[in-house]
Amino acid sequence: MSTEVIKVNINSKEFEVPKGARLIDVCRDKGFDIPSFCYYSDLALQASCRMCLVRIEKMPKLQTSCTIICTDGMIVTTQSEEIEKAQRSMLEFLLANHPLDCPVCDRGGECELQEMTFDWGGLEERFIEKKNYAPEKYLSPMVANDPQRCILCKRCTRVCDEWMGEDAIEAGGRGANTVIGTYGGWLDCSQCGNCIEVCPTGTLLDGTYRHQARPWELAQTISTCSYCSDGCEMSLGSRAGELMRIVARDRYVNGHNGEFLCIKGRFGHPFVNHEDRLRTPLIRYKKGGKLIPATWDEAIRYTAEKLKAAAAAYGPDALGVVGSPRITNEANYALHKFATEVVGTKNYAATDAFSLKPFFDNLGAPLATHRDIRYAKTILLIGGEPEELQPLTAKQIRQAVSNGAAKLIVINSVPIRLVEHAAQFIHIRPGMENAAVWALGHSSNETTAAQKMGIEANELSALRQTITETEGDVVIMFGGELNAAAQMIVAQLANSFRADTRRVLLHPLPLYNNSVGAHDMGMMNGAMSVAEMLDATGSSIRALYVAGSFLPEHLRGREEALAKLDFLAVHELFETDTTAFADVVLPAASFAEIDGTFTNNDGLVQRVRQSIPPVHQAKPDWMITAALAAELGKDFGFQMSASAVFREIAERIPAYSGLRYPVLKDESNPVQARYNIVEPRDLSSALNELKQTVAALPDDGEKSNVTPRVGHELFKIGTLTDKVSQFHLLAAGNPRPDTVRVSPLYQITVDAKLERDAAVSGD
Amino acid sequence: MSIITDVIQSTKAIIQGMGVTLSYIPKRKWTVQYPEEPVTMQPRYRGQHLLHVDELGKEKCVACFLCAAACPSECIYIIAKDDPRLPADRIGVDERYAEVYNIDYGRCIFCGYCVEACPKDAITHGYNFELSVYNRADLLKTKTDLLITTQVQSKNYRVAFSDEDVDSEYKEI
Repeated sequence: MSTEVIKVNINSKEFEVPKGARLIDVCRDKGFDIPSFCYYSDLALQASCRMCLVRIEKMPKLQTSCTIICTDGMIVTTQSEEIEKAQRSMLEFLLANHPLDCPVCDRGGECELQEMTFDWGGLEERFIEKKNYAPEKYLSPMVANDPQRCILCKRCTRVCDEWMGEDAIEAGGRGANTVIGTYGGWLDCSQCGNCIEVCPTGTLLDGTYRHQARPWELAQTISTCSYCSDGCEMSLGSRAGELMRIVARDRYVNGHNGEFLCIKGRFGHPFVNHEDRLRTPLIRYKKGGKLIPATWDEAIRYTAEKLKAAAAAYGPDALGVVGSPRITNEANYALHKFATEVVGTKNYAATDAFSLKPFFDNLGAPLATHRDIRYAKTILLIGGEPEELQPLTAKQIRQAVSNGAAKLIVINSVPIRLVEHAAQFIHIRPGMENAAVWALGHSSNETTAAQKMGIEANELSALRQTITETEGDVVIMFGGELNAAAQMIVAQLANSFRADTRRVLLHPLPLYNNSVGAHDMGMMNGAMSVAEMLDATGSSIRALYVAGSFLPEHLRGREEALAKLDFLAVHELFETDTTAFADVVLPAASFAEIDGTFTNNDGLVQRVRQSIPPVHQAKPDWMITAALAAELGKDFGFQMSASAVFREIAERIPAYSGLRYPVLKDESNPVQARYNIVEPRDLSSALNELKQTVAALPDDGEKSNVTPRVGHELFKIGTLTDKVSQFHLLAAGNPRPDTVRVSPLYQITVDAKLERDAAVSGD
Repeated sequence: MSIITDVIQSTKAIIQGMGVTLSYIPKRKWTVQYPEEPVTMQPRYRGQHLLHVDELGKEKCVACFLCAAACPSECIYIIAKDDPRLPADRIGVDERYAEVYNIDYGRCIFCGYCVEACPKDAITHGYNFELSVYNRADLLKTKTDLLITTQVQSKNYRVAFSDEDVDSEYKEI
């Protein structure tokens, strides 16, 4: 949008608006309420609901304000008898076939159609004819559908296409017979549930929360997602200590993700109130014995005693402290403080899949926010799979390409789904991402690197040309495939591509919600990595204090490592492979039960707020650590307040200086941590190091041509379906697929009994 | 004022008062010998709530929570549940029903807002009025206590017919 200002007259008042502004946005911004159903900012226009009608002087008939771009001197009337009459008639038509079953409908109370009818509609229904009937059905375990309630605004189809790139839900038929449907009657997609979120009526509804509570009964708490590093802001709806649902609806929360959430964020929450949650602290008094419930005092005392004994016998460095990229900054900070100030060990780490330390140490450009990605002109994606691991980033990339004409360049060894949006796809051999970075680091490396990667050398020069021709933002993203030297080069790439008309922004793609925060809190500065620590158990590491559990890939091949420890204390929500070896298990509170902050891959410091009281006897991780420190004779002085922990973080960590909880209060104005941007560094040593890595790579290899299906990791496998006991393919009308499957989610397996029932009842 | 006038006036007042009392003795009695005799309730009396069922015996309540939302003393607690079975097997008239429906009579003020709010005419005020209990916790009535099919009706009342003149006593005055 240009900065040029034009004058528009709305309801006999003059307003100055930027040129190119949309009339409906301007009117709403200036306080003239305009109703609409189909208009949704940042989606393709539809103009089918005819609710946003306005009178524009010198134009015949009423105009839809969602399709009008303001021009200089435009005279607009938004309220008059004529307009009201048109709107009232439109609503009467919309309600002609809409069943008035609001008491049963889950959308009742937060339904846009309901609200508009109250505000703009007529009071009486004049149609006495029978309404069209269409049976209710489930489109998937997540999405319940009542086609009769549909007003054909087509938000769902546009969201599915533009946000998710899936086209799983579409409109079929013509005119009054149009229905929103799926291919084969079954929603074969990643089940993100965004169609549910944007639906202005009760047509598409959350199948897991179906008929459980009403929106006004729920306490809405704004919090941050605990799955991937995109850090979507969302609203937790809880009632009587139970987390009922998670939404990102505009009326509750206005974060950088808008109304977007993926399946994990939206549906992956039943682990919070899961019956398997640890209830009390557990102590295993004898190795190989049973975990026995204990009181908190006893568990803390026992842990402190054992840690003290291990430190006395083998020295403080024999104690390892392991943080987690999934817990809050506060918790990681407390663990770091515990490791360095209470125990005095140099062995601490976080259970992340890869460390971003080399990247942040050499950061040569600011981090890109998701908004920057949406309006970027060129996006370079090296490795990674945002579609699966950072769905919001993937959505922003898709919109940047399809709605913003950005160029996407993908360097990957597998043709990920985003490739269909890419201007250039550099298909390299598996494991060659480092070689690609080496080639980007200096153009003289291109020929050798191209040979290694199995591509033409001109593909790399074309990439270089695309970036150097860009005017606007260039965003460089990278996944976990890069090694330390490659991360350093990527972090410094900005220096070679920056120009007056070009801004280069960096966007790491770490795996976990607080990977960046765990790095910021210093959990990755320890002397050993997690893998090294596990290898050293029994020799130089004698006792471990772990928050969360080890990742399966850490424990793979090291099954015996934990058994060799003298003492293992674990904070956990559930019993896991790690707690199987633990001597003390302390029940930790999940993200919904605590106050704290996460830092996402934009560097945005985001609040996590308490929605329900901790279940059973769980406690926030930082509180457990502080209690343990107090038992060992060091008072952290947090006084049971997360904000006190954060104040100390802000005082001690430069990137967070000046931040306080009140500063982070408003999720619509997120605050970015101030990372130190370093001067251009000499990269020759890193390039040399990388050269050796690349030289060691094999010269040939099979390229993978299979587009991976998107599947999702959850906190606890199986929890997604817990609330879907009612899932049975509501008989009427939904054709039974050959195999009842919800394809991309390997965790969603339809309960064998339900499948049997469905077969018996013929649906 | 002399003592004589005082005596005369007092006597006059006593005779007047006794006159009124004596004049009522031959008239019809309004006192009800509760609990030996049933109390007559006016049709619009707001007693303990009733949850209704339809002609097929299905609960009318669809657990829309509007009664709980309308309740000024917040004494209604509902847990909704999905009933995915076929209509014939369902508990309620719709696939959504109230698994738990509690009214706390320690809080209820019998204002009738819940009845007004109900879009399905599922809840009305009944005539049970003997709500006193020995234990405060017993004031919490559950769905069994409220459902018209299971609520134990007191024998100590009869409901007046709508054309019955139960108010005439007051009209006289």
